[in-house]
Amino acid sequence: MSEQQPAAADARTGSHLVAEVLAHQMALDDSMVVFGEDVANLGGVFGATRRLARQFGDERVFDTPISETAFIGMAVGAAQAGLRPVVELMFVDFIGVCFDQVLNQMAKNHYMSGGGVRLPLVLRTAVGCIGSAAQHSQVLSATFAHIPGLKVVFPGTPGDLQGLLRTALDDANPVVFLEHKQLLKSRVSSLPHDDAPAPRTLAEPVPFGQLRRLAPGDDLTIVTVGWMVQLALQAAGQLAAEGISAGVIDLRTLVPLDRTGLVDAAGRSSRLLVVDEDYRGFGFTAEVMAVIAETLGRDAPLMARLAPEVPVPASLILEEQVVPGAAAIVAAARKLMDKEV
Amino acid sequence: MDPHQTLAVYEVMYGMREFESLVGEGVASGAIHGEMHLGIGQEIVAAVLGRYLQPGDAVVSTHRPHLHGLAAGVDPVPMLAEIFERDGLNHGKGGHMHLFDQAKSFMCTGIVGASAPLAAGYALRQRLDQRGNLSVAVAGDGAVNQGGVAETMNLAVLRGLPVLFLVEDNGYGISVSTQKSTAGSLRHRAEAVGMPVREANGTSLEEVDDAIRDSIGYVRAEVMPATAVVRVYRFRGHYEGDADLYRDAAEKNLAMSAVRDPLLILRGRILADETVTASELSQLEDSARARVTAWRDEALAVGLPAPASAFAGVFADE
Repeated sequence: MSEQQPAAADARTGSHLVAEVLAHQMALDDSMVVFGEDVANLGGVFGATRRLARQFGDERVFDTPISETAFIGMAVGAAQAGLRPVVELMFVDFIGVCFDQVLNQMAKNHYMSGGGVRLPLVLRTAVGCIGSAAQHSQVLSATFAHIPGLKVVFPGTPGDLQGLLRTALDDANPVVFLEHKQLLKSRVSSLPHDDAPAPRTLAEPVPFGQLRRLAPGDDLTIVTVGWMVQLALQAAGQLAAEGISAGVIDLRTLVPLDRTGLVDAAGRSSRLLVVDEDYRGFGFTAEVMAVIAETLGRDAPLMARLAPEVPVPASLILEEQVVPGAAAIVAAARKLMDKEV
Repeated sequence: MDPHQTLAVYEVMYGMREFESLVGEGVASGAIHGEMHLGIGQEIVAAVLGRYLQPGDAVVSTHRPHLHGLAAGVDPVPMLAEIFERDGLNHGKGGHMHLFDQAKSFMCTGIVGASAPLAAGYALRQRLDQRGNLSVAVAGDGAVNQGGVAETMNLAVLRGLPVLFLVEDNGYGISVSTQKSTAGSLRHRAEAVGMPVREANGTSLEEVDDAIRDSIGYVRAEVMPATAVVRVYRFRGHYEGDADLYRDAAEKNLAMSAVRDPLLILRGRILADETVTASELSQLEDSARARVTAWRDEALAVGLPAPASAFAGVFADE
């Protein structure tokens, strides 16, 4: 191969990166088990558990019947019994069928036991829009984050898919790990922000509750999480071409929430736009704005928010109206810039 | 079962009834302010279960959990302290319906039917460990109609999980009778997934003992789930304070009479068999009562949880 030719294209998607971390950890930790719908034979509908069953065998990696209450609850019991289950809920939308085991058992049993019971488990689930309408496109991050006792992690970049998952697999608590379908499916090299580690290496663990600033900006700060991080960075690029300097902050984890970092960033901004793919009402955008407002009071920046207020429709032309894209973020940023501070 | 084993079971059941009676008094006196579900009349299930549990076995009980906790070997003093809302087994955060003893692998849940998936989780660990342990999922007759129980029965058979589904059929889910809540029968639920089922009448110690012993023997030996259904009668209302107008007075009186109350039946048999004299039996009962009363008094001497502790312990290691 001559030096002029590019290196072999990086074919890795986000799902490859997840599978690498799971395999790495399973080799280190005999107590780790992986189960859920289609995770073994198929390797996950998005491929995030590919090759695990072959490598670690049927006792530790197995397919379950379509019985979310039974197998999510089994993960809770197994964690209490000293295993480290990594259980996959294929689409987050299916949480409705097994919510008791999450709401009343997974989230509560450590607290209700007075600390005697531990639940070191990771609930991995695919979230976000890929064009499949309102029962297969939700994020529901705030639904989990609302419940005391669950950590809620929402990576927005390939590097964080690995770094945050490694931390989740080392946590003593139940962690809801939200994997955006676009991130799972996309070639990492095609993303606006590709921080994937070099092939055959793993990203370093990323601590929970520490936001990061992915782009500096003087005129406006965009605060977001998950896949919207990629779109906000795209939007920031477009805004820069118009002479608007927009910073992007990735919160990385909803629980724990980096209140200090958030207030610090807000204190240094005159305008702040909060963007979320989960529903607007009583959710992430309101929480972020409330934390800033109750801490900074009259010193808070001028704030606006962008998030869906209706279910995600099927037809692409309708979907684009509802789910924020880079263009919608640019429009919201312009509107905020037009307001007088 | 020989006469002395029968006497031992009677002593355990007697202590369990005293235990529940003292807890009931705590509700009546206002020492306990929350909802309370007592197992008076159902003691035989837990008393027999306790005969066959081994270290490393797990028990996941229900909203009516105290007697299963005693069967699992939970220390009664911290358990009573927790029930009496003091700095007890779970430091005042669980209360009577959410008792957790990690060392004994005992827990319970206030959500009907939720015990089954949780027990499957303990059983997953036991399957991997291969030490012959099992998990008991206690369920009432009402819980059997929860989807999660059906799902777990299916999953447990498919995965070879050592779970005993122990169904206490006390005839009523709150006010709705088993006949009105359950099409087919409880045993059909388990048979549908190819699981062995044993049924027992709670007024017969032999039937209950055979059913639970054989079921547990199968689960341990085969590393497969089994179901045991025991028909009992709930002497108290669903909860303390339940006016209990939905059950026929004649039905209740019969169930609690010397010909149907499992405790009184056993007492009569012990005296008829002359295993011990009447005065010896009274002494045994007196000392069982004294033991339980001492536990209660010791539990009441435990302090209240520190108010600020309410805000701690949502997450581990923080």
